[in-house]
Amino acid sequence: MNHNTSFELDLFKSFKEGDETAFKFFYDKYFRRIQSFSVQFIYDQDEAENLAQEALLHLWQNRENVESINGIQAFLFTYAKSKCLNLIRHNKVKDKFKNDLLNHKERELDIEVLNSLQFNTLELTELERIIQESINELPPKTREVFIKKRFENKKNAEIAEEMQVTLKAVEAHMTKALKILKTKLSDYLFLIFILIYNN
Amino acid sequence: MTSELIYKYLSNEASEQEVQQLFDWIDASEENKKQFITLKKTWTLTAISGTISPNTASVMALKPKNNARKYFRYAAVLVVLIGLAGLAFYFNERTTASKEIVLELSDGSFEYFTQKNENNLVNSKGELIARKFSDRIIYFGKVLDKEVSYHTLTVPYGKRFKLTLSDGTFVSLNSGTTLRYPEQFGINGKRNVYLTGEAFFEVAKDKQHPFIVHSDEVDIEVLGTKFNVSAYPEDKTVSSVLVEGSIQMSEKDNPLNAVLLKPSQMAVWQNESQKIITQTVDTAVYEAWTQGELVFQNTPFSTIAKIIERTYDVEIINENTVLAKQSFTGSIKISESSVANILELLKRDTPFNYSIKQNTITITPIFHN
Repeated sequence: MNHNTSFELDLFKSFKEGDETAFKFFYDKYFRRIQSFSVQFIYDQDEAENLAQEALLHLWQNRENVESINGIQAFLFTYAKSKCLNLIRHNKVKDKFKNDLLNHKERELDIEVLNSLQFNTLELTELERIIQESINELPPKTREVFIKKRFENKKNAEIAEEMQVTLKAVEAHMTKALKILKTKLSDYLFLIFILIYNN
Repeated sequence: MTSELIYKYLSNEASEQEVQQLFDWIDASEENKKQFITLKKTWTLTAISGTISPNTASVMALKPKNNARKYFRYAAVLVVLIGLAGLAFYFNERTTASKEIVLELSDGSFEYFTQKNENNLVNSKGELIARKFSDRIIYFGKVLDKEVSYHTLTVPYGKRFKLTLSDGTFVSLNSGTTLRYPEQFGINGKRNVYLTGEAFFEVAKDKQHPFIVHSDEVDIEVLGTKFNVSAYPEDKTVSSVLVEGSIQMSEKDNPLNAVLLKPSQMAVWQNESQKIITQTVDTAVYEAWTQGELVFQNTPFSTIAKIIERTYDVEIINENTVLAKQSFTGSIKISESSVANILELLKRDTPFNYSIKQNTITITPIFHN
């Protein structure tokens, strides 16, 4: 049931015509998502917020080039991906570890992950739906842990405390969630692998 | 063990030593690296879905209006978890003509849609007028007004069907519906179709040629686009929900008794009072069946029973007065839920007993005298 409501479609039309209030709607909708995506690669919450801000500004400035409401996400994530790659390659991402070899390896892996992500409009809409569904279909406790971790950004210890379970249990739930989601997303991810490994 | 390590790393809770361990494992083989990359991608991609709060379920379960108990998940999933193998039963495939989708052509002959076949329909001049598939039919072309001839499509209980009319209008037909429409629309005249049952129309824009849906009592004239019409003979109302565009509903015998709808409005013709009333609705509830879902929003049990009867081609006899007064909210995927699944889910909130004999379901109260 994930059609765009006629309310959102109207907003998109206004947004393209330069209505700032309409733009704010999309800003609010996507800011956190872009930030949350970017922090996986640049490891700094504030820098990730800056990046999200830039992406949305870029969207506003290029609104004429966005074909459809579903194209907004593709546009924003493609920008975020490029920016992250750029920052990594120019050594502007902060080092997490004392051992510099680890930092180096981490950057290498992140570049590979980023390169393997393609943000195509049609796929993104479908992907969003699959992800929503998959998360909702997780077993209740697992789902709760996953949401607290991924969307509320709580630490494992906090989650364990809140849900009155052991730390190990929290880790086990998350591992299980990741496994299940990986399986459900495997079609999308598989296609991507084909693209990458054939280049 | 490694999966836990990967997870800890992704959530920034791994120590430097653990990270070293992980990276060593990644370097050990190409397979390991692939696995890691896949998991990191999965983790990263969940950012796309936006925030989800732990208390809302975009998948609602059926719950009675006044009950504040926990949400369940989709009926089919719940049933699988509880293991209702004992309740599994099968409806026999009926072979009588009335159980199949039937198309009556302008010359009075019949066409069926039973197999996964695909064939073409031609007119008396041998020209292609339609392509027929097992679950839909697509028409083309236009004719002179005086030559317009009609086809009649009948969809029985238990089935649904889709068609594209020769002007490009797309129609979804719900269970228990008959639609009469021109094989090919006339070049000049209005576009007239005749409906009993329920259909969702996406009308091709054509301001020069208004599209009119005729039901027994009311006509619905379309000035452009998407709306649902429900005109089952056994209901004492005809209702239409507008998604996009604009439509006008008017009484056949008194065209001045008319209402012009805006999107997200529903017009209901009431046979008893001979009035048309309007209200604002959530169109998703009324469109859901076209996507293979049933959506209820404070829907009284009697309406739910009627919808189940049509969708699954069963008969429901309800002797439980408590249940009759209950309303429910929720959604179900038709292809994933059997009638038993749905009844079991309803039972969890409002207990009742039921028995099934062939295609008839009898619902009784828990405490029988």
